[in-house]
Amino acid sequence: MAEASLPDAAAAKPARPRMPPLVFVAIAWVATMIAVAILADLVKPYVFTAMDLRNRLSPPGHPLHWLGTDELGRDVLSRLIESIRVSLLIAFGASLISAGLGTALGFLAAHFRGLIEQAVLMLADFQASMPFLVLALSVLAFFGNSLPLLIGLMGLYGWERYARIARGLAISASAQGYAAAVRQLGAGPARIYLRHILPNIASTLIVSMTLVFPEVILLESGLSFLGLGVQPPMTSLGNMVGYGREYLTRAPWIMLAPALTIVLTTLAISIIGDWLRDRLDPSLN
Amino acid sequence: MLRFATLRLGRAAITIALVVTFAFVVLRLSGDPALIILGPEAPPEAIAAFRKSWGLDASIFVQYVDYFGAILRGDLGRSMRDGRPAILLVAERIPATLALTLPALAIKIGIGVPAGIYAALHRGGPVDRLVMMLAVAGFTVPSFVLGLTLVLIFSVQLGWLPSGGQESWRHAILPVVTLGTGGAAILARFTRSAMLEVLGQPYIRTASAKGVAWRAVVTGHALPNAAIPTVTMVGFMVGSLIAGAVVVESVFSWPGVGRLLVVAVANRDLAVVQCILLLVAGTMVASNLIVDFLYGLLDPRLRAGGRAGAH
Repeated sequence: MAEASLPDAAAAKPARPRMPPLVFVAIAWVATMIAVAILADLVKPYVFTAMDLRNRLSPPGHPLHWLGTDELGRDVLSRLIESIRVSLLIAFGASLISAGLGTALGFLAAHFRGLIEQAVLMLADFQASMPFLVLALSVLAFFGNSLPLLIGLMGLYGWERYARIARGLAISASAQGYAAAVRQLGAGPARIYLRHILPNIASTLIVSMTLVFPEVILLESGLSFLGLGVQPPMTSLGNMVGYGREYLTRAPWIMLAPALTIVLTTLAISIIGDWLRDRLDPSLN
Repeated sequence: MLRFATLRLGRAAITIALVVTFAFVVLRLSGDPALIILGPEAPPEAIAAFRKSWGLDASIFVQYVDYFGAILRGDLGRSMRDGRPAILLVAERIPATLALTLPALAIKIGIGVPAGIYAALHRGGPVDRLVMMLAVAGFTVPSFVLGLTLVLIFSVQLGWLPSGGQESWRHAILPVVTLGTGGAAILARFTRSAMLEVLGQPYIRTASAKGVAWRAVVTGHALPNAAIPTVTMVGFMVGSLIAGAVVVESVFSWPGVGRLLVVAVANRDLAVVQCILLLVAGTMVASNLIVDFLYGLLDPRLRAGGRAGAH
């Protein structure tokens, strides 16, 4: 890989394919969502819990409430913006935990081999074979609910995929010249793995992160939809859909706005992830 | 073959043991099990009897062994809500869940597998592009959004079908369609890539080159080889027959195991949750075992004691 990367990069440069328009739109959408999440307090027209009792259940297009209001006269647009912030925060936090945990376990397995490797692989098999929703619900039943617990729990989602990838790549990297060279120079395992192997495999891990990320959003919104994820007065995209379900006949916009946001965001991230995978690492599939 | 079977059975036993351990650890971490299972208002003598019968006065290791024993005997505790054995409560709900998940499974396999095969054989054609588009949609549209959209169209706007409940077979249509379409799209995409991978293999070229009719190449060489990864996916779907409808059952107020789980979690009815967790693990492990033995039938190399994927 190290030897092959030089001529490859040189050959790829003139023929670098243009970004497909669909990917451009997807990136623009995700960038907008992230901007909305970060600037939520500035772009929200109202406080998301503020009630406007004179305009309850008003449909979208109302001059004061572009996306309409709900049963309590709360502005759907403001709630949507707050929900995007909460859902993205949980998904980002969870993905980082999961990637960190999985990569660390993968490196441990690659470094120690033997029993530790078998234990990690067995745990990975176990995690992959159990429906995560049921495991997550059990933990929530036993421990009750809070935002840090929810993020930590979501952080267990998908770790086994990073662990398998990190283990495989670290094993093949240790056999390569650069890892051996640093080892000969007297570097400890932590330095070899974190300063030398990790940067070399980071692109693959980032691609897997973009592939796992939409699943985390879907999982969180599913739990919140069931009323077992984010708890009121906080709101997330799944909460809004769950709440809007009660008003499906009279006010379908309460449900449609967050539902569309979930679908478009996961779709956009999947498109970007697929594109990145084809660009950076066709071996992942 | 004997070695193969022993290995697989051993792995299944380890997975079940891991789930039981998970339940044990989580149960112990979350507080006094006597108070949790019996409830805070239980009389002290009941708590004492419970502690004695579950051996809570013993060391943690002895407790762990006893816990295993109790579960092996089918002693899964009682529901906090109505005091009935948790295992009965769960068992009552299984038929309702299967009434949704079995037809949905038939849709997934009946549409997903042929669509995937057709798409792979006509790569780049209109059907292929349609299948890929639907597959992406099946992945990005969460089931509760699909379900509610169907309700909005077919119950609210058109008034053709009921939006929830379990009174007649017509109530099952929307939940079954919700469950089936998403899974069919995912299975189609999976079958397609399995087929494409096999069609690119040298032995397919060899068979074509020596003059075997294309139809015979597909049925005799491509399909059996592509079946192996597809069976894994179907196995996973069979394994989630019990747990796969948690969200959809809630959308359509369908009184199945998934709905019971959500209510039990909301009420922290731990005995019921634990029972469902073990039931789900059991079905998952059993279907994985079946898949492993099907591999043995589909792939003769495995029967000889080799490993899948070793060429």
